[in-house]
Amino acid sequence: MNLVDNLALGFSTALSLQNLLFCFLGVIIGTLVGVLPGISPLNTTAMLLPFTFGLPPASAMIMLAGIFYGAQYGGSTTAILVNVPGETSAVVTCLDGYQMARQGRAGPALAIAAVGSFFAGTVATLVIAVLSAPLATLAMKFTAPEYFSLLVMGLIAAVVLAHGSPFKAIAMVLMGVLVGLVGIDVNSGKPRLTFGIPDIADGMDFVPVVVGLFGIGEVIANLGSAQDRSILAGKIRNLMPTWPDLKASFPAILRGTCVGTILGILPGGGAALPPFAAYALEKKVSRHPERFGTGVIEGVASPESANNAGAQTSFIPLLTMGIPTNPLMALMIGALMIQGIQPGPSVIREQPALYWGVVASMWIGNLMLVIINLPLVGIWVALLRVPYRLLFPAIILFCCIGAYASGNSVFSVWLMLGWGALGYFFNKIGVQPAPMVLGFVLGPLLEENFRRAMLLSGGDPAVFVQRPISAALLAVAAILLVVLVFPVIRKKREEALPE
Amino acid sequence: MPESAARNQHGNAPDIAFGAFLIILATVALWETRALAIGTAADMGPGYVPRALAWILMGFGLAFAASGFRATHRPLPGFDLRSFVMVLLSLAVFALLLPKGGLALATFATMACSTFAVSDFRWRESFVFAVILTAFTVLLFVNGLGLPLAVWPRW
Repeated sequence: MNLVDNLALGFSTALSLQNLLFCFLGVIIGTLVGVLPGISPLNTTAMLLPFTFGLPPASAMIMLAGIFYGAQYGGSTTAILVNVPGETSAVVTCLDGYQMARQGRAGPALAIAAVGSFFAGTVATLVIAVLSAPLATLAMKFTAPEYFSLLVMGLIAAVVLAHGSPFKAIAMVLMGVLVGLVGIDVNSGKPRLTFGIPDIADGMDFVPVVVGLFGIGEVIANLGSAQDRSILAGKIRNLMPTWPDLKASFPAILRGTCVGTILGILPGGGAALPPFAAYALEKKVSRHPERFGTGVIEGVASPESANNAGAQTSFIPLLTMGIPTNPLMALMIGALMIQGIQPGPSVIREQPALYWGVVASMWIGNLMLVIINLPLVGIWVALLRVPYRLLFPAIILFCCIGAYASGNSVFSVWLMLGWGALGYFFNKIGVQPAPMVLGFVLGPLLEENFRRAMLLSGGDPAVFVQRPISAALLAVAAILLVVLVFPVIRKKREEALPE
Repeated sequence: MPESAARNQHGNAPDIAFGAFLIILATVALWETRALAIGTAADMGPGYVPRALAWILMGFGLAFAASGFRATHRPLPGFDLRSFVMVLLSLAVFALLLPKGGLALATFATMACSTFAVSDFRWRESFVFAVILTAFTVLLFVNGLGLPLAVWPRW
């Protein structure tokens, strides 16, 4: 099948009434959580995961994907209007977007953000469509040593590109792998690390762990810190950007899209890193770098395009190889496995309707976002007025129901309680829990491929460097580790990434 | 407990706490996997990978703790005990009430309990909101999504 046939199949799946509805639901929920600070797409997806059990796989994935990129839109709306980045990916947008809003140019800023995001979303959808088949074919050739090296490379890249201490992140990844091994060992049938508790004999359930760490942990941390939600935005007068605005924005949108597309594919990329890189690039190529931060439209156009492009291309490693590049993609893997689909290179061949349907739905979802967001801006801003003291009991409640529904037992709620306490502890000591989730999801795969590779090679670890693809992947991982240790580059990384 | 490291007035308390946490975690993992066969590199037993990981984590923990002790002083940030206890308590309330008390009661009690996690709650507002959300929850999850849950108490 060629590209056109594939996309036609995708659109016929995505345009079914049910899938359109779930796509719409996803982007609406996404925008909502994007607008509200303190609720991230990560914990929303985790909360909603159990309720996708009953849906067909395509509908479930389409909705969950919609939440992810919808949140990027919502996050930037509040960044521009009220200087509150709903998501980390929108932090950069505050710099120039909010200044534009203060000068009465909120309308053009919002419009350019939407247009840029839509353009980036379109390009990213095409990139996914073009790249995924060859990548999946390549991945089909992988055997145990290659898979192990690929996983190692992915995890290390995620650590290098994530913010916070890289050494703590590595420790968290390893802890995640250890937690991922809880349950009955497939090779020997012996229970491991279960402490004799029958409820975790099949492994620690994914939903309570993630909802506890992110949902509950964040709620407690948010309650401890003061909430600042002063709303400064006046009326949005005119959405139409002027001709000079458009002329300045177009190249910025192109550059942002390129940066986002590339960084999104890299493990650890996702939506958070690209806007920072795009903003830095924009400042570098601008003839007036000193004007950045005072409300220049390129400072909105480029990062907004980048975060949306990145959000979408971060699906590529997930869809083609079954490797999550960030915790949200790890949740998507969880969603697929719950549906009985083993993520990996075979999905594209065995489930073409699902695969291309999800890809096509991303473009449709982006179109929906442009249409629903610009006229509805007032509603989203009004939502910001809901005080957190009313919001958080609802979050707690949905976490409880989500955890219960994931295993149909209250044991999951207790498990979530434990992980919530741990999540708050990590938050307080300044350790990011995100790498742990990656390790947790990939842990069983990592161990299985490691054991299989070592079994085939007769216990000789040289097998990982003797096979060319595996050696190349490990070389990339080694280079990344050197980058991590090399002080000059590390300093640059700290400048580029916010805390 | 990691918290005991916080009373130390020298060193970077958050780092020491993280180190202590990893050491405890590794120790527990090593103890729990003590009976599992390790096997050889060519034919690994169930204990090989978990025990290796535990030892590496132990190393990380010791390294963080050691470098934390030598680092300049940084106190442990204040734990917000009220929010911490009330949020976890509201989860426990949900887990305890749901099997026998039904969804409506568990929902309302969880909402009520979590409200006390902040000091600026308002009685009437919170009560009305809890009632609305309880009704919404029952309608959405039981009637709408069809979760197999009892709504009312069964005593």
